Amino acid sequence: MVDPAMLTEPVEPAYAAGATTRRLAAEAWDHLWPWSRAGFSRQKLVQAVGLALAVAVTTVWVLAGMGEMGAGALIGWWVGWSACEVLVRLSAKPYVKEGPWWGRRYRAASVMDMLCYVAFKNLLVGALLFLTLKALGRVVV
Amino acid sequence: MMFARLCRRFQRSIAGGLLGMVMAGALVLLSEPVRADSYEAALPPELHSSPRMCDYVACTEVLPGADSFSERRGQPPFVEGYKTEGGQKTLVGYVMLSTDIVDIPAYSGKPVVTLIGMDATGHFVGVKILKHSEPILLLGIPESALIKFNQQYLGKFVGDQIEIGKARPEENIIGLDAITGATVTVIAQNQVMMVSGGEVAKQVGILKPQVRPPATFIDTGETLTWDQLVAEGSVARLTVKPQDVGLVSTGQPYVDLWFGLLNVPTVGRSILGKDGYERLMAGLHPGEQALFVVKTDGIESFKGSGFVRGGLYDRVQVRQERDTYTFRDLDYLNLYGVLAAGAPAYTESAIFIVRGKTFSAAYPWQFVFLANKLDKTTGAKTFANFDREVWLPARYLEGGRPAYKRPDAPWLKMWKDRAVEIAAFVVLLVAVAVVYSRRDALVRRADRKNKWPVNAFKYTGWVVSIGFVGFHAMAQPSITQVLTWFHSLLFQWKWELFLSDPFIFIFWIFIIVTVFLWGRGLFCGWLCPFGSLSELLYKVGERIGLKRFQGKLPKPLHDKLKWVKYGVFLGLLAVSFFSMPLAEKLAEVEPFKTTFLVGLFNRSWPYTLFAAGLLGLSIFIERPFCKYLCPLGASLAMPTTFRWFGLKRKQECTSCNACAHGCGSQAIDADGRIDQRECLLCLDCMVLYHDDHACPPLVQERKRRTKAGQPLTPIGQDGYFIPIIPVPAGAAAKETTHG
Ligand code: SF4
Ligand code: SF4
Repeated sequence: MVDPAMLTEPVEPAYAAGATTRRLAAEAWDHLWPWSRAGFSRQKLVQAVGLALAVAVTTVWVLAGMGEMGAGALIGWWVGWSACEVLVRLSAKPYVKEGPWWGRRYRAASVMDMLCYVAFKNLLVGALLFLTLKALGRVVV
Repeated sequence: MMFARLCRRFQRSIAGGLLGMVMAGALVLLSEPVRADSYEAALPPELHSSPRMCDYVACTEVLPGADSFSERRGQPPFVEGYKTEGGQKTLVGYVMLSTDIVDIPAYSGKPVVTLIGMDATGHFVGVKILKHSEPILLLGIPESALIKFNQQYLGKFVGDQIEIGKARPEENIIGLDAITGATVTVIAQNQVMMVSGGEVAKQVGILKPQVRPPATFIDTGETLTWDQLVAEGSVARLTVKPQDVGLVSTGQPYVDLWFGLLNVPTVGRSILGKDGYERLMAGLHPGEQALFVVKTDGIESFKGSGFVRGGLYDRVQVRQERDTYTFRDLDYLNLYGVLAAGAPAYTESAIFIVRGKTFSAAYPWQFVFLANKLDKTTGAKTFANFDREVWLPARYLEGGRPAYKRPDAPWLKMWKDRAVEIAAFVVLLVAVAVVYSRRDALVRRADRKNKWPVNAFKYTGWVVSIGFVGFHAMAQPSITQVLTWFHSLLFQWKWELFLSDPFIFIFWIFIIVTVFLWGRGLFCGWLCPFGSLSELLYKVGERIGLKRFQGKLPKPLHDKLKWVKYGVFLGLLAVSFFSMPLAEKLAEVEPFKTTFLVGLFNRSWPYTLFAAGLLGLSIFIERPFCKYLCPLGASLAMPTTFRWFGLKRKQECTSCNACAHGCGSQAIDADGRIDQRECLLCLDCMVLYHDDHACPPLVQERKRRTKAGQPLTPIGQDGYFIPIIPVPAGAAAKETTHG
């Protein structure tokens, strides 16, 4: 049934009804790990390509941590990975949070929702990593 | 019937025609060439490094009358310009390159490279911008504005107190007109001019150093350990990291220095031992101060590898307010050892004598390390300085620390100067947030026919925002600020710079907070100057009889066009990573600069036509720019996906289209769901939601109760009449007996 209080259909991830701490841990895992078993059984190719790209982008961050990567390349890779993450998530974990971040309401993600989610999350993650590396002097601009 | 059809056709043709014009306007803007001469201009690297600076830049342009120039001399460097008459050379004045002297970044995070000419009496005679990276000066405000700004310095004396803003004759302060919309840039530029000119004027004797009462030290008789000296602040540390000078970190600092004044008996004795201290003091003239420096770590020397006899130590100096003290070889003594218990091992050491009689150890002073910063993209080296301030503990000074008032930072001055307006602005923002958070009470007071309880507040917000925020304070937020942040994050994040524009600074804090609380709607719908102006025009159009020509685009078309703004935003962001100038140019899709910063009639016709076209279109279609084009709106809409508190809905909304029909933003879909990204929080639907003469389920219930003779209870939080629950007969009887 349509819930007029949210933009798309309500969705309940398996952890939604669990204890708060379990749910928060599962949510944190969700933010960091875009893949799921269901996703793999649905769209093997997208998930596998995503995984490969994730390995590549992790390598890029590690290289950057060793002072071997320019800022431009780093940003380029991060943006590329983010685009891929949108696709991976849409087939593996196709939902987003609705309302307060501490709440337990979720809804199905449209492409735009997922784009907004990944862009926002990766901006925070990217900025955190980038500024850390910059403060450590590993990335110089 | 016929008329209605005509009207509809008219609406459709205006919509199509004007939208076409908007697109065409955008294309005209995009095809116009960038008018910027010194924006990111490529300068010859020799300009920064060659002793013969004036071979690489036209020094005569800033020092009229000079026909020959010396090599770079002095510390910080400058050149002398001469006039040859009858084979005789006479000094005309001095030319300096700002980046040789200061490292003050402007709004972009990069310095404005300025060539400055000053005559032999210390008056500015020429200023030329060689290179800048200021996006704001690229298109919105012509570069000529900066040139005009700089011309205000001509004829002014370097020792004058020159500030941006109103003159204050009673305090001897000369005011300069700022560039509207580029306050941050000109504040930085003023510092560049005054510090550069001042540094050279002091070296050549035009500006006399400030005389400060000398310190009289108290001998406490103690001998302290290294840690004690550090803890009390008489020995201090200055560390420079490789990344600070544009190098990749290897884990080792660029330079790690410790320093302190040796004249203080307790400190001198602790560091040098009793004999060493006495020997040192015996060799000093009255008023001279000895400073020890040791390098405990680092890849760079503080003495400089190219140091020559008779030369100048060009990496370290001492500064006290506007006075700088440099060291020559005669000011250097060997430091044979640091005797304080627990002192670290060091690889380089020196004792420097501060000879200026004007230096006073009783006041705060700074130890400065000078370096060159490598700009990775251009390979050019710019000057950078790192300092550490110290002030001797009061217990070493007779009479304690003297009274000393630190001069306000330029940004702080800005806040103080405009304190009243800033306070008014904060009140406005808080008021809007409070009013919105009390929306439930307001919408209940309003109904479909009388929305004034809500609109009185909203319209006041619009009018104040257009007049005060937009036209007066010029605080229209813009996508260029978002792009600038991204870039400052990469290059150099300086809080001082953002703080220099108090209104924009405060506005963004408000925007960020409210986007996460309620979504972009509170800013866009209630406070954005351009958005308010455009919706106000629509409302005025409605009042003056143009209602029949007003309309919305068909929903399917709207649902397609609304994506355009996201494309514009993401496109700008992408372009900015490759070319900031191009992104800034494309950001002209925002008519904000034309409307508020520069003025509709002060710009070339494509800009005026574009802004006026959008505003004209706003009379017939509600906020066309906000709905379809605004990159700022789009950038705020994206995080709005995750706003915490949305608007209320009833289950019946899924089949009722009343709200959707009245939604000017076309943000409600066929299932009654509100798209928070598109909703501008006008609250019209919330008025309807509580109106028992408009909201169909409420109307129905009202009629039913009236017919059944039941009372009309108030409408509850869930948007329904509070149900009448019949009290069981037994309980009622009990109540009565007990009562
Ligand atoms: S969409 Fe743009 S112009 Fe419209 S109100 Fe929002 S920021 Fe202002
Ligand atoms: S009518 Fe409702 S959904 Fe539409 S813009 Fe106003 S508040 Fe938002």
